[in-house]
Amino acid sequence: MAAEGYGAASPATATTQDGAKGAAPPNPAASINSPAPAANPEKLTPAQLKAKAKAEKQARRAAAKEAKSAVAAAGQPAQQSGSAGADSKGAAKGKGKQEGQQVPPKGVLVHRPSVSGRRPSIMVVEKDARSGIPECFSHIPMAKRIPTSQAHKDVHPAVLAVGQQMATFALKDSISRLKATLLAFRKVIESYETPKGNSLSRHFVPHVLNPQIEYLTECRPMCFAMGNAIRLLKAKVNKFDINTPEDEAKEGLLEWIDFLINERITLAEYVIARNAAQSINDGDTIVTYGRHRLVEKTLLRARKEGKSFNVTVLDDPYVGEGKELAKVLRHAGIPVLYSPNLGGLRSKVPAASNVFLGGEAIFANGSLHAPSGTADVAMAATNAGAKVIVLCETINFDRERVSVDALTYNEIDPERNTGDCFRLLFDNTHERYITGVITEIEFGGGNSPAQAILALLRKQEDPLIA
Amino acid sequence: MAPSQASHTPSLATWTKSLRDQSLEASIESLIFLLKRRQVTGDECAGAIAQLLRQVVAKSKWHDVDQLLYRVQTAGARLARAAPHEPVIGNIPRPEPASSPTTSPSPARTLTSGLQVSKSMFNLLSVADPSESPVTGASTPISQAQQPFSVHALRSEVMDGIEEILDEINQADDQIASFAEIQIHPGDYVLAYQPSKTVERFLVKAASKRRFTVILASLNPPAPGEEEQPYAALRKKLNAAGVSTINLASNGLMAYIPRVNKVIFGAKAVYQNGGLLVDSGACIAAQAAHEYLKPVIALCGVYKFCPEDPSDEVSRGELGNPSSYVSYADGPELDSFEVENTTTDYIPPDLVDVYLTNLGPQTRHHLGGIYADHYKIEDIGFSLQVGE
Repeated sequence: MAAEGYGAASPATATTQDGAKGAAPPNPAASINSPAPAANPEKLTPAQLKAKAKAEKQARRAAAKEAKSAVAAAGQPAQQSGSAGADSKGAAKGKGKQEGQQVPPKGVLVHRPSVSGRRPSIMVVEKDARSGIPECFSHIPMAKRIPTSQAHKDVHPAVLAVGQQMATFALKDSISRLKATLLAFRKVIESYETPKGNSLSRHFVPHVLNPQIEYLTECRPMCFAMGNAIRLLKAKVNKFDINTPEDEAKEGLLEWIDFLINERITLAEYVIARNAAQSINDGDTIVTYGRHRLVEKTLLRARKEGKSFNVTVLDDPYVGEGKELAKVLRHAGIPVLYSPNLGGLRSKVPAASNVFLGGEAIFANGSLHAPSGTADVAMAATNAGAKVIVLCETINFDRERVSVDALTYNEIDPERNTGDCFRLLFDNTHERYITGVITEIEFGGGNSPAQAILALLRKQEDPLIA
Repeated sequence: MAPSQASHTPSLATWTKSLRDQSLEASIESLIFLLKRRQVTGDECAGAIAQLLRQVVAKSKWHDVDQLLYRVQTAGARLARAAPHEPVIGNIPRPEPASSPTTSPSPARTLTSGLQVSKSMFNLLSVADPSESPVTGASTPISQAQQPFSVHALRSEVMDGIEEILDEINQADDQIASFAEIQIHPGDYVLAYQPSKTVERFLVKAASKRRFTVILASLNPPAPGEEEQPYAALRKKLNAAGVSTINLASNGLMAYIPRVNKVIFGAKAVYQNGGLLVDSGACIAAQAAHEYLKPVIALCGVYKFCPEDPSDEVSRGELGNPSSYVSYADGPELDSFEVENTTTDYIPPDLVDVYLTNLGPQTRHHLGGIYADHYKIEDIGFSLQVGE
């Protein structure tokens, strides 16, 4: 993740620049690279960098190249916060760099006045992004690239980086988003100091955590797993007595986050893959759609256990992730039939012993929220008499919201958001098209229809907060 | 041979022009090649075959009905065999995805192809016979020719019949489009799946009367090099008429169906049981619409009705060229996984609500009536022989 974090942040800013001024491709790249080498021969203190950037900006402004200077302002903090994101995994060495990283937000603050002058033009760009959306889908939210210079001043650099990665879909599925968010929040907690006369349990959430959440939500609508985790985190913070010493509270929160990541993400993935792999028998034909981490883990695990089976990978040519899965599986020695589109779907599913589908979330009514096309596959499979098995961590279960169609909770693909080319990211699979859900719960029917699991969760989850 | 063929018959247009000058045999051969290369597609196909049959009747040597039938049979069967992937070649047109060289030949389809041809012939002859010779109630021609009959008169009679068939083919789209305003209501959201010519005309006609929204879906994204948005011409026409359009970039359609009022697509062929042969992926649309109880309207001229039941092969779908999905840039893994690009779908009758034909909207319960009106049992048997 560390490497990915840094790598993803730069393209993020590059694309933001594109959005801001629609420049030719070489230009943004140059402007990202140029500050660093140019600054290198001189001394590289953050203050100087800042001053340099400011001077540059003044000059460019005089030349009426407003958009370009926005690039410098936006690119610089993002690069630094990108490295913050990279560090966010190694908690131990975080402290030392943490202080250095405090600079960018301040820098942003300093730049603010000048930024605000440009704001209208950027706002216009933002409006354009949504203006192409057909009227009938205009209620659906869409991820948005916010220049880091536009972020609220209280947003932590680690969160800034995560936000950028989410907006650009470098972090895509619910669990990797959740994990990155939690790790970033960990940073936020580490660097948090309760102001005098306040207590952590009263001050932290409204004044520190909420701005982070707002920013993340602005970058891309929160996924349900994040919603769940944040709800749990807030409950956890509220549990602390007003008089709890700050260090103790912080320590408790950090431990709790580690516990959550370990239990609900790392171990969950392992257990689900193991359980699902058990349901694969020799000679089976497994059908799957697109590429989902859990499905991939499951199939590879089953293969490792020495089972011989075939996999049919169905794909959406507008996304093409299934091809990557097909290659990975093929590389592991599993015979793969790759269908690049959903054509002939009805003729391909009857051969399936199991259809494995990954889920983004499961609603309180048991319906599955998953990448667009999943519902079509599930329906065709059920109609053809194949078993449809959904793999999903329990952190993805939403116990409050109910969705009966895909237009209630969804997202518009920010790359395809006009009448010329439109795509919704998710669809909604009715419970009746799902034979069972495999979760990490190991007792009392952890692998059963969604409603049964929801019932289990209602009983079980609350102790986690205590 | 290949290059010379290519220069002589690069397209249907040149083939049509050359019809008059070329010998009959050359015309047949050329058309066979065009069909094999899938250079003749869709409605063109129907017209081309009707035109060729006209040539067969006009140019080939025959002295009695039997000979004429034989000529037509053999020509029809050859053409049908040239494009076994298209059950409707004889049943005439349908939109065709010009892609795959990997089709497995299906004898059953070959039969059908001969079928429409012979059906037409039979109907023509049964009209022609009584007037020219005292054969009573016969759809079976009499070869002994006890009565002298005018070859010339029969020929022109048959030519007129083929002319009629051509007219039917040419007018079918317009006739279907004339039902547009009944089917499409103001404010509708219409999902048009890979609109064929027929569907395009239908939508444009509807756009002249109604304000609605067309949601266009297609199975495959435009090829990487292709800049143009899919269905640009259609969208331009619709937009000019004040109808807004949305291009979907998705294979899954369930997400959009709650918004959609009806699903429309063109059928390549209609089977006797009411099942449809369609462009690959249309089944996803039909299935999704069925789930939400939205009407599924299939547009199909009556000439697309095949008097047979779909074979297993039909429901498995035809396989197309996979090279647009994987390339050798994908690395060594490419060698080892199978890529299956299905280009046709079969839609079972229970997913179709309305068959909108040039004779008006039909339900599957009344398809039997159409078959009874258009085919005779003898014709079906006759065509079976043709296929052999």
